[in-house]
Amino acid sequence: MNISLSWLKYYVDIPVSVEELCDKMVMAGFEVEEIVDLSKTMNNVITGKIAKLEKHPDADKLQICQIDVGGDELIQIVTGADNVFEGAVVPVAMHKSTLPNGMHITKGKLRGVPSNGMLCSGEELCLKDCDYPGAEVYGILILKEGTPVGVDMRDILHLNDYVIDFKITANRPDCQSVLGVAREVAVVLGTEFKMPQPKYETKGGNVNDLISVEVKDYDLCARYIGRCVNNLRIKESPEWLKLCLRAAGMRPINNIVDITNFVMLETGQPMHAFDRRDIAGDQIIVRRAANGEQITTLDEKEHTLNDSMLVIADGEKPSCLAGIMGGLNSEIKDDTTSLFLESARFRRDNVRKTARALGIRTESSARFEKGIDVFRSEYAMERALQLIYDLDAGDIVDGTIDCNNGLPEQRIISVSAQSINDLLGVEVPFEKMVEILNSLELETTLTDGVLTCKIPTFREDIEGRADLAEEVMRIYGYDHIVGRPMRGAVIRGDVLPTRKADDKIKALLCGNGMHEIATYSFFGSKAIDVLNLPADDVRRNAIVIRNPLGDEYSTMRTQLVVSMLTVMATNISRKNADSRYFETSRIYLPKSLPLTEQPHESPALCLGLYGKDEDFFTLKGLVEQVLGLFGLTADYEKSAEPYYHPGRQAKATANGQQLAVFGEVHPATAQKMGIDQKVYVAEINLEALYAVEQKQILFRPISQYPAITRDIALVCDRSLPVAVLEKAIRSVKSDLIKKVELFDVYEGNQIEVDKKSVAYSLVLQSDSTTLTDDMCNQVMDKVFDALKAVGAILRS
Amino acid sequence: MKEQLQAIETKAIMALQAVDSLTALDELRVAYLGKKGELTAILKQMGGLTPEERPIVGQLANKVRSTIEAKIEERLVQLKAEAELKQFEAEALDVTLPGKTTKQGGLHPLNRVLNDMIDIFKSMGFDVVDGPEIETEYYNFEALNIPADHPARDMQDTFYVGDDLLLRSQTSAAQIRTMENRKPPIRVICPGRVFRADEVDATHSPVFHQIEGLVVDKDITMCDLKGCLEQVAREIYGPDAKIKFRPSFFPFTEPSVEVDVSCPECGGKGCRVCKGAGWIEILGAGMVHPNVLSGCGIDPNEYSGFAFGIGLDRLTTTRYKISDIRLLFENDLRFLEQFDK
Repeated sequence: MNISLSWLKYYVDIPVSVEELCDKMVMAGFEVEEIVDLSKTMNNVITGKIAKLEKHPDADKLQICQIDVGGDELIQIVTGADNVFEGAVVPVAMHKSTLPNGMHITKGKLRGVPSNGMLCSGEELCLKDCDYPGAEVYGILILKEGTPVGVDMRDILHLNDYVIDFKITANRPDCQSVLGVAREVAVVLGTEFKMPQPKYETKGGNVNDLISVEVKDYDLCARYIGRCVNNLRIKESPEWLKLCLRAAGMRPINNIVDITNFVMLETGQPMHAFDRRDIAGDQIIVRRAANGEQITTLDEKEHTLNDSMLVIADGEKPSCLAGIMGGLNSEIKDDTTSLFLESARFRRDNVRKTARALGIRTESSARFEKGIDVFRSEYAMERALQLIYDLDAGDIVDGTIDCNNGLPEQRIISVSAQSINDLLGVEVPFEKMVEILNSLELETTLTDGVLTCKIPTFREDIEGRADLAEEVMRIYGYDHIVGRPMRGAVIRGDVLPTRKADDKIKALLCGNGMHEIATYSFFGSKAIDVLNLPADDVRRNAIVIRNPLGDEYSTMRTQLVVSMLTVMATNISRKNADSRYFETSRIYLPKSLPLTEQPHESPALCLGLYGKDEDFFTLKGLVEQVLGLFGLTADYEKSAEPYYHPGRQAKATANGQQLAVFGEVHPATAQKMGIDQKVYVAEINLEALYAVEQKQILFRPISQYPAITRDIALVCDRSLPVAVLEKAIRSVKSDLIKKVELFDVYEGNQIEVDKKSVAYSLVLQSDSTTLTDDMCNQVMDKVFDALKAVGAILRS
Repeated sequence: MKEQLQAIETKAIMALQAVDSLTALDELRVAYLGKKGELTAILKQMGGLTPEERPIVGQLANKVRSTIEAKIEERLVQLKAEAELKQFEAEALDVTLPGKTTKQGGLHPLNRVLNDMIDIFKSMGFDVVDGPEIETEYYNFEALNIPADHPARDMQDTFYVGDDLLLRSQTSAAQIRTMENRKPPIRVICPGRVFRADEVDATHSPVFHQIEGLVVDKDITMCDLKGCLEQVAREIYGPDAKIKFRPSFFPFTEPSVEVDVSCPECGGKGCRVCKGAGWIEILGAGMVHPNVLSGCGIDPNEYSGFAFGIGLDRLTTTRYKISDIRLLFENDLRFLEQFDK
């Protein structure tokens, strides 16, 4: 909210510097986004009269001016403009001056003739016609006749002022107005707040003879006030009014439009003026639009409406989008002679929804969205009429149309003063509380330690003790709150078991040279296509954001592979050395689509590797280590994901549950990601790992007896997975087998075609005796039998 | 024979001087002391001596044998030492060559900072809890005292995935779930991922992280809030860190404050980091709104509490002086590696 210091001073004395004012306002809850010193926009630009004008001897298009700037001597300036004339008063940028557009002017020569500055155009001073008449004329800005010479242009343009941008919090819609802020300034500075008391005279007639108003939907429009003004005298607004609007960033237009804008900025109540000629049937109806009904708004855009949107209609058609924008058909024109003025309260969420649905956002809609006090509608109307009267902009018709469905009563809140201090933890004297609350216009009395406050309707945010405590404290000063060490029973903080599990996994992975990454939870709607999943794959059932920032951020991920591939692709393209990454994050699995209930958020872990030392087995090693942390020995078998190499992928299962799937990424998938080398990815189901019951570790005595190692070489079909062999060995029920380790796999000339040799090392040991050869042989015979059963025989 | 024995001794000692390898030494031992050695050969002639001479010569022979043995042993030790020295020289390494290690990875900077924060809060008795990222309007808004017509519900701020379902825009949603499931005294933090429809730039990201804190107990006041946050600030920014409250507004706390910490860069004098103010904004906080408490079945007349929300991403970028929040999500190896230590 931009407010000029001079405007604030209409309502409150400000005996301190702008900086001090802002500091104090910040500490009272009004953050200051920016203080703009308007006088800094230009420097050393003064008014000067052209005393003499002659042609440049060497340039047809240049003229040499002798300028009277009030000093003893005339200043010579060369100009290229042709709208200057002797006697004209113009803005003169002197030697070493600065213009609002950032230009620095110094003296120089133009085609050999010395020029000691520059004559300025309106554009160079960043002025529009509304800022100064004639500012948009092509050429030098010719100032009004009678403008004195040698005067700082900042004085001419009223730039010796500050504009303060206050950030108004959502609980204070009453401060979306100059008056609201001025009231706070007065409290903060301890000075008097001077609320204008509107007075005006009417010129007879009766509004009810001119127009009728009917509110059909009170749920969306709690109050609708209308007045009429005849014999309009539309003209330019006075300078003071234009200055206020400009400081707030609004363009002055004419007295009527400017008054409605001024009152909106001053009171926070948006107002609307209709040309009464255009109100068909002299009838105003506040109603929901019909589905498909159309309106063309002031900005000449056509909108199709529906029955959730509120319009101000006449007897035939909508003529205004309630609280948002007027219709083109009923706007105030230069020849408008009679107007109907509206001041109303529309429901904030309805205005917001309609404005958003139609893609319109105006000063008016922004204020309605935050909330309007029903009594402010009344005050604003009075204030507007007073300005119409004061500026002689028209004849005010007697009578007010005031449609409402009952006005709210003033609320009274009673709170124990001590309970406020109990919440704050400080001892604010009760009398001080009363003083502060009264200064904020919360009429307060103190009886037997109980504060009784009448809450004005513009403070809907105040509901009880906590709100009153805040009001007291922000004025009393938060610096009075002194930190106190945490009290209460000593409690031990703890993290969830899942976080402990994550920490364990992450420590393991970091120790294996892996870098943790963090990626967005959503990606493009087509991103998953690189995985080449069939159309009915569940991972294609992704939750879609209804209002995404763009397609690339539209789809909640159902797996982490695409994000991992993206990160690896980025690093590969940047020629970053061989590396390893992991991410733990949630994936979002809807129970049904479209989404009607919260989805399952499944914690997942993804590993990604690339580089010359990586292969399927370095990846598998990592998967085994992660599963091993949870005491799991998984079964591995070939898997069939379309985004992994068909012959180089596997899934790990234990107790019938899939724990991981991993492999070399399919070259087609890699290529789609712009990756031209081998990359490896593993997906691990953390939820399954969390569910594993952690067994307590119990020490087992170390055997006193020697271990016997038996190495065996087997021959079997080349296609037989070694897991089958190991499983066969382990199927032998013997306490003596302590370790089974594969140490060689051989395929080649020394062996039959389609066969391979597999060598295992078995460690046998007893906890109670020294093993004899016989004892070992008995076990080994069982092992050989088991191996034979799966098609592996001893290599001879 | 005596002379012969003496001569053998002298000869053997002479020969020992010339021996320069363990093999040669062994040969020498055999040559003198072996079964076919010189000394043995002499001793075989002992039979020809008189009974009187025998013990004398025998004694001398033993002395010669043991002298030679001792000398051989001495030489053996010498040679072994020399050999060892040679071997060590041959095996000597350039110790300035780099060591062999398994490459270390590292946690993402966001999680490094989060882990520090968890340690701080755990030590202060806070439990660390979790909540869903896809929330209902009830938990994200209504229960937090943000009614349906409140401007904060603006679709522009919150991503919707269903009529009533959204990506949580604040970890405060977890406050409610905590209060529904626990009885006071409550002391929890809920770190997590949150989402807002902010266009991506150097300081904004549609995905970011918060740490929500909640304390509910009897007699909790704003002074407890300040004391708690002072301790946190000191843990993060050092023992001299101070904090300041500025009034603000959040629908779910009342009174609400923005909390500034004395600028960790200049200590409060004013610098570029704090834009001359001496303070930087670190978090929002306040006393839990009575509507929020009663909505969760906690009597606001009996209990009070405070809540706060810390932006983890900003904490991380200021801690490591990371200039652009986008770097956190780009995952360039050269960025990540800087946090391996």
